[in-house]
Amino acid sequence: MKEVINDIILEVNNVSYSVREKNIIEDISFTLEKGGFYSVIGTNGSGKTTLLRCISNSIQPTKGSVKVNNKLINKYTPKLLAHKISVVSQHSEFLFDFSSFQVVMMGRMAYQKLLQTDSEQDMTIVEQCMKKTNTWHLKDRSVKQLSGGELQRVMIARALAQQTPIILLDEPVSSLDIHHQFEIMELLTKINKENNTTIFIILHDLTLALKYSDQILALKDGRLIYFGKTKEILTQENIQELFNVRADIIDNKHIIIHNNESI
Amino acid sequence: MRRKDIILYCLLTIVVLGLMILGLFLGSVDIRSFDENSLYIIKHLRLPRVIMCVLSGAGLAVCGAAYQAIFRNPLSDPYTLGISSGAALGAATAIVLGLDVFFFSIGGFAFSFALLTVWIIIRISSVGNRLHITTLLLAGISINFLIAAIISIIMVVNQDSMDKIIFWTMGSLSGSKFSDIAIVFPFVLIGIIIIRIYARELNALLTGNDTARSLGVNVERTKKLILFFSTLMIGVIVSYCGVIGFVGLIVPHIIRLLVGSDNRRIIPFSIFGGMIFMLVADIISRTAIAPSELPIGSITAVVGAPFFIYLLYNAKKKLNQ
Repeated sequence: MKEVINDIILEVNNVSYSVREKNIIEDISFTLEKGGFYSVIGTNGSGKTTLLRCISNSIQPTKGSVKVNNKLINKYTPKLLAHKISVVSQHSEFLFDFSSFQVVMMGRMAYQKLLQTDSEQDMTIVEQCMKKTNTWHLKDRSVKQLSGGELQRVMIARALAQQTPIILLDEPVSSLDIHHQFEIMELLTKINKENNTTIFIILHDLTLALKYSDQILALKDGRLIYFGKTKEILTQENIQELFNVRADIIDNKHIIIHNNESI
Repeated sequence: MRRKDIILYCLLTIVVLGLMILGLFLGSVDIRSFDENSLYIIKHLRLPRVIMCVLSGAGLAVCGAAYQAIFRNPLSDPYTLGISSGAALGAATAIVLGLDVFFFSIGGFAFSFALLTVWIIIRISSVGNRLHITTLLLAGISINFLIAAIISIIMVVNQDSMDKIIFWTMGSLSGSKFSDIAIVFPFVLIGIIIIRIYARELNALLTGNDTARSLGVNVERTKKLILFFSTLMIGVIVSYCGVIGFVGLIVPHIIRLLVGSDNRRIIPFSIFGGMIFMLVADIISRTAIAPSELPIGSITAVVGAPFFIYLLYNAKKKLNQ
């Protein structure tokens, strides 16, 4: 267990988001502590991505508020918010051939003035972040030519280059094979431990959530129904309630899922 | 700035100046000796034309690069999106209403109509907070259809203004005067400077709105600012040069192949690319069937339309989203 995790870094208060009177997420409240590793689970359409987009200020909640370091996120300038929160999405589309290095350098934008060129310091930071994510050898390759795992590591390097205390990730491993899923999760754990970065990650795979996270947020039909320590949340009854499947949890390490009909 | 780039800029400047000088001596009237007549033609007819050529080329190319980033669409160009046609309709309206006597009124109408076109195509092609790539192009093409029809009606109804209006639909630099240049120059200069200042933000916008926002870009403000100034440039260029299509499509694409995707390099290099492309097109338009002249818009379209089809062919997988 990590020591001293009682600094609140992010606060979500009664957040709802609705489209045409229909609530996508409803009355969600929780707080994240500095240095925590939080996984968000829930079925498709349970509102996970909408919640993440509210926190990253991509959309404005219909009701409620989000605070970072005790300040409302819509009071931050876009640049200053980018000093606090970085985002890694499931898919990154690139229209044109940017090199991996250029993409990671984009993480430094929030620290650069208009027309200012990339400084020596920016170069050093980008190099460090790329080495940490094992992408330095890809620096001159076009992001369009990278494999899924390589591209996600580059996107994580960009988030690192933003030097934010919080990284939000929207299903970063869903399109990767098992080996690369673990590789990304190990990398995030390393970042979480070494930099004390708060990780807030949407995951589909419950085994990964069980193995890597300190705390779990479970969403169902737009509501936060469980929030707490991983082992207390990922129980057979809760998984049945959330996903309507039967799960056996072995040694608090493995989750085996059965169809409700089988057995 | 890299040393290699400085050398390239110098070389390109020499090429542009060379083509400008060539443009002064080529045309329907052969310049054999420097008598009074030839000097008059060079100074009062060809020099302003060559300068206008350079200005409009730079402006159109930079606008193309800006639109491609703002709309996240490699096929964007002031012409393919119908924005130039919108400006032409504005100019034609000003003439029919007899407002062309007022200073700036043609340019003002051209700009307002161009901005209105931008608003319409964004309205048509927005799905949620994203612009649908295929719909955007269809919107631009349909607006081109519509405006072409309206302009032909205006021309038939106002036979006496036909010559003036036809000029906008085909594009022409032949009537350029120094007084026109004095108006076009500041708009093009300011537009290019603003777009260059926001080049890094344009790079981020190419990766999507949400991503750009998370990187610290004030997405809405940047888009509005760039759209305003690039459309202002288009309005002014179209009101003095008419609709010259595809320059903003071809030039940034070729530059991108040569120097990469960073807009901080694409924009300065596109300035030169646009100048060179327009100077060559203008020289061809004046010499190909001399002593008659081809409309410059038809030259750029002969090169540009096949290029557009080629890009469409290459992009069809992605467009199918």
